[in-house]
Amino acid sequence: MQLKGDGIMDVAVDTPAKTFIQVAEIWVPEGETLVHGGGSYGDLGAFEAASRRESFAKGEGLPGKAWAEARPVVLKGFDGSYFKRTEAATEAGLTTAVAIPVFAGKALKAVLVVLCGDDANRTGAIEIWREADGLLMLDDGYYGAAKHFEWVSQHTHFPAGQGLPGGVWASETPMLMRDLGSGYRFIRADSAGKAGLTTGLGVPIPVPGENTFVLTLLSARGTPIARRFELWDARAAKVGKDGGAALVDGICAREGALWDPENAGNERRAEAWQGSIGKVLGSGLPVVESGKPGLAAGYSSMVALPIYLGGELAHIVAWYV
Amino acid sequence: MTEKLVVIGAGMASGRMLENLFEIAPDAFDVTLFNAEPRGNYNRIMLSPVLSGEKSYEEIVTHDAAWYEAHGVTCRFGERVTAIDRSRKVVIAPNGEVPYDKLVLGTGSSAFIIPCPGHDLPGVVAFRDLEDTTAMLEASSGQGAKAVVIGGGLLGLEAAAALRLRGMEVTVLHLAGHLMERQLDESAGYLLQKDLEKRGITVLTKASTKAIQGEGKVEKVVLEDGTVLEADIVVMAVGIRPAVSVAAEAGLEMGRAVKVDAQMRTSDPDIFAVGECVEFNGQLFGLVAPLYDQAKVLAKTLTGEEEAFTPKELSTKLKVTGCDLFSAGDFAEGEGREDIVFRDPARGVYKRLVIEGEKLVGAVMYGDTADSNWFFGLIKDGTDVEEMRETLIFGPAFQGGGSVDPMAAVAALPADAEICGCNGVCKGQIIEAIEGGATTLGQIKATTKASASCGTCTGLVEQVMAVTLGDGFELPKAVNICGCTDLSHEDVRRLIKSKELKSQPAVWQELGWKTVNGCHVCRPAVNFYLLADWPLDYADDPQSRFINERVHANIQKDGTYSVVPRMFGGMCTPDELIAVAEAARKFGGTLHVTGGQRVDILGIRKEDLPAIWADLNAAGLVSGHAYSKGLRTVKTCVGTNFCRFGTQDSTGLGIKLEQKLWGSWTPHKVKLAVTGCPRNCAEATCKDIGVVCVDSGYQIGVGGAAGMDVKETERLVDVKTEEEVIEWTTAFLQLYREHGKYLDRPYKWLAKVGLDWVKEVLADADERAALNDRFEVSQSVYRKDPWAELAKPEPAKSFLPIADLTQEAAE
Ligand SMILES: Cc1cc2nc3c(=O)[nH]c(=O)nc-3n(C[C@H](O)[C@H](O)[C@H](O)COP(=O)(O)OP(=O)(O)OC[C@H]3O[C@@H](n4cnc5c(N)ncnc54)[C@H](O)[C@@H]3O)c2cc1C
Ligand code: HEM
Ligand code: HEM
Ligand code: SF4
Ligand code: SF4
Repeated sequence: MQLKGDGIMDVAVDTPAKTFIQVAEIWVPEGETLVHGGGSYGDLGAFEAASRRESFAKGEGLPGKAWAEARPVVLKGFDGSYFKRTEAATEAGLTTAVAIPVFAGKALKAVLVVLCGDDANRTGAIEIWREADGLLMLDDGYYGAAKHFEWVSQHTHFPAGQGLPGGVWASETPMLMRDLGSGYRFIRADSAGKAGLTTGLGVPIPVPGENTFVLTLLSARGTPIARRFELWDARAAKVGKDGGAALVDGICAREGALWDPENAGNERRAEAWQGSIGKVLGSGLPVVESGKPGLAAGYSSMVALPIYLGGELAHIVAWYV
Repeated sequence: MTEKLVVIGAGMASGRMLENLFEIAPDAFDVTLFNAEPRGNYNRIMLSPVLSGEKSYEEIVTHDAAWYEAHGVTCRFGERVTAIDRSRKVVIAPNGEVPYDKLVLGTGSSAFIIPCPGHDLPGVVAFRDLEDTTAMLEASSGQGAKAVVIGGGLLGLEAAAALRLRGMEVTVLHLAGHLMERQLDESAGYLLQKDLEKRGITVLTKASTKAIQGEGKVEKVVLEDGTVLEADIVVMAVGIRPAVSVAAEAGLEMGRAVKVDAQMRTSDPDIFAVGECVEFNGQLFGLVAPLYDQAKVLAKTLTGEEEAFTPKELSTKLKVTGCDLFSAGDFAEGEGREDIVFRDPARGVYKRLVIEGEKLVGAVMYGDTADSNWFFGLIKDGTDVEEMRETLIFGPAFQGGGSVDPMAAVAALPADAEICGCNGVCKGQIIEAIEGGATTLGQIKATTKASASCGTCTGLVEQVMAVTLGDGFELPKAVNICGCTDLSHEDVRRLIKSKELKSQPAVWQELGWKTVNGCHVCRPAVNFYLLADWPLDYADDPQSRFINERVHANIQKDGTYSVVPRMFGGMCTPDELIAVAEAARKFGGTLHVTGGQRVDILGIRKEDLPAIWADLNAAGLVSGHAYSKGLRTVKTCVGTNFCRFGTQDSTGLGIKLEQKLWGSWTPHKVKLAVTGCPRNCAEATCKDIGVVCVDSGYQIGVGGAAGMDVKETERLVDVKTEEEVIEWTTAFLQLYREHGKYLDRPYKWLAKVGLDWVKEVLADADERAALNDRFEVSQSVYRKDPWAELAKPEPAKSFLPIADLTQEAAE
């Protein structure tokens, strides 16, 4: 392989192309019910309106299922399923949803749901990896048009430390890979390269009980999952007992690399309730914002997902489109 | 007029120098930049995340074509400068000469390759530049490809973690006893190794590479100890050598690198140097921080400003995602130095500060580096920390607390965690019993049987009760081993087994020791527990032993030593006895016949020990371990062979027992005797284990003593055959080895666990067999003569007196 100098563009593409994820929304528990906690719907107004009216009991619908079963859930094709908003979703052209529960220890903080539309031209991957017998196996995933890559992924497993899922699992840390097309566990790398998948964001999804889950978002050039990715470290072991978070890695189609080796230990900081990341720090909940001025680098929407470790907020990953 | 500035090497130092220069004087120089690599400046230290895929090469380019153009730099990339002609003031390169007014050397270093056989095979790579990175990436793309990384320092470990992330099977070979030994102490090195192992990386310490082998390319690596490792690539990361051949050939003044003054000027006033190719005041440089300082100084020197370079304290971090470590300053143990240690086993945190006088001189931290910059500042500035000493370790926020909760571990145990190993009682059952109304240990014992047998789990049961009952239960104060820990001997023994702790650093860290390395009280105990429980994994640490055990002889009150050869079962041949006598005569020893039927050679000088051992070894005699917490002697009477009362071959059995048991370490010393009839000439009834032969077979008694306490043995069992005696005796000894508290003789141990429990355990034939098996595994390591080892020339040197005048005179 070759490391060629196509520039930052390889990693996060700033074109007005369609994005892979069309909807992101948050559901927060209120007693025994999940209620709408904000979302980004682009121009899918009808679906947004239908969603804002909705709520889910534990076990009900997709978010309720993620809560009750304490695991991320992928749902492909809504017809005849437990999905509650099938009609509105079908009208909006949405065909797949992934629900990611955010647990702090045993307590559910929120469920993040992302929805994608089926489109022969949309490539990307949202994958759920689950530990079984000391290896990470694909639990489920959504790949859009990347059919070959889907097949390869179903037949791949990752030991601790290997590849994006194995690396995230072993280090208990989110990771942002720039270069999936080379050496990324052999066949998968090859296939990822062919599918145009370049950037990968891997995130540990802690849940109560014995299960280990890792979520990966693989972004392709044409239909990127995001144009800007940020990884924030919020562990007291890193930023001290006074809280806050430090921007330890990131890449942006508009601003380039978001890390600075000269600044190790003095990275960009966020404090509770200041800005969107501050909102996550303050509330401990995921944040989805759209159409709001003041988002980083002038992006129109963003999703920020908190990651807990041993019940404490440890990291925040954010992606912007 | 603009001067002509030629720069050789587009590295991190020269790149920074040019930035500084253009800032101060944008138009002062007409710059030509040579680089052997076919590209311009990039951030070399970020090659590690590029290798792992966590950064792209584009992200780490520091100066692109547009930058060079904007500053009028003539780029000669991919061209290695071959010579400098100082008389004509030109630089010579493949595509032509370039004249200079001022010349800057920034040639950096190259990787040091161990010149072992096979080092030049294809597939042996260094980790220095983008080409090396690409070579490694290529090698990683094969299914199940294997990498061997030689060198467990910063660079090697970053390469190892990256290659693992890329999907390779990775083994790290490291010569020293722990990873990154120049930046980390043992405890931090232990945590780092654990973290890397969690990523599926194999780490071999004390591993010395003998050769690299393969047909036409790398196939395997052979270690000195004979281990063979398969490899598709071998990454050499053992160190760097300044790249200074061009400078040396040009006749510049050299040390280990190009010598410069504080203005970065070489011995030629028009030639300057920065970076790793520089030697300043005898010092070389290998991290970027001081190079950036040099770059700043050189930019000023070139523009005629006054500035002087002074080296500063350095700090180390490791760029492996999820491994948080930091080290700075000096943390060697030493006279007048004080350590402050904080450990949080649950979070894998270790922090150590080294204070000398009123100043912080070193800091090592693993797992929690939040305050590292603050500590680094204190070290660099030499701040007086006397006032903060008490709370220093908690960092600038010093919120007093942060103490480890000893209960947290117990509280975190799942309900199905086994608490009482003897009776198979798990935590859930104990909690059930408590919820059912049991509030005292006695009631728990009665309802669940937990802690009703050997009793080693008593502490744990009490902790479960404390966690469950809260204030309703008062935890009896456990007796801690020493000030280094709050844990008792029983706790430590249990945790070493259950948490599979196999090294001293593992015990210190995982059990939250308050000191760096333990003390003279706990170290010998922990050393014994480790070698008894993990004979194959743990290597005995002589430094954790008392002087007698370290020198394998008893020190006497006049400072001389006594040497006692082993005489199995108290028997010896005339030749052996003559050898003992001759050795005594040769080395001026006095002979004494001991109560244990041995001949003690008293009055031997320390420096003569290896020689007398060699003489005794030559006669077939081995150490009698008269100094050890281990099997001492098996005393016998003459039995049926000679005695008219004899019922069995007591001498023969004694010899067999001693041959089986010798060399084994035990919590305290163990003495045996076999006596041929109840007349008891061998005094078997006051030994730790005493066998009395009777007409119907053998009576095995245990727990006797004849010292400050005098105690008669108690009957363990009666058996019919010699084989059974050996089996039972071995099983008993092993049980004592596995459960006894260090420095408890068997009779004291029996008083704690009860002879009934021991009888019950040993009555189970399977259990006896298992104990025998485990004993044999241990003996495969320890049934060896320590004298033979120490009598070899190299170790024998350590027995020489410290100030050796004979040697000084010879030199
Ligand atoms: C993978 C890696 C990780 C590292 N991580 C860290 C870290 O985390 N922290 C840290 O402080 N340091 C780190 N270092 C060390 C740091 O990179 C070096 O200290 C630094 O790069 C040295 O800078 P330099 O300018 O002296 O030499 P270099 O950066 O090596 O540059 C020298 C340049 O000169 C060129 N050259 C040599 N001879 C000639 C010639 N005759 N003609 C033309 N060109 C020539 C070479 O090709 C090279 O490009 C790391 C190094 C590596 C390889
Ligand atoms: C500097 C002090 C001492 C030295 C160097 C020393 C050395 C020895 C030696 C070399 C033996 C012969 C060992 C053997 O046959 O295995 C021995 C045996 C013995 N020692 Fe000591 N000893 C010391 C102090 C003591 C003390 C303080 C006691 C009593 C508390 C003691 C009790 C015994 C006993 C009981 C035996 C013989 C046991 C047996 O084999 O039957 N010794 N000692
Ligand atoms: C040369 C003669 C002896 C020497 C130098 C000697 C030395 C020692 C020493 C150093 C100890 C303490 C050892 C340790 O902690 O490991 C000891 C303990 C002991 N010795 Fe001796 N000893 C000698 C003779 C004897 C004799 C003749 C007897 C009894 C017959 C005896 C019985 C004991 C006993 C029972 C202990 C153990 C006490 C205990 O720890 O409970 N020793 N001996
Ligand atoms: S113990 Fe019995 S058999 Fe042994 S020597 Fe004494 S009298 Fe004889
Ligand atoms: S009995 Fe007392 S004096 Fe004699 S060797 Fe033992 S300790 Fe020394």
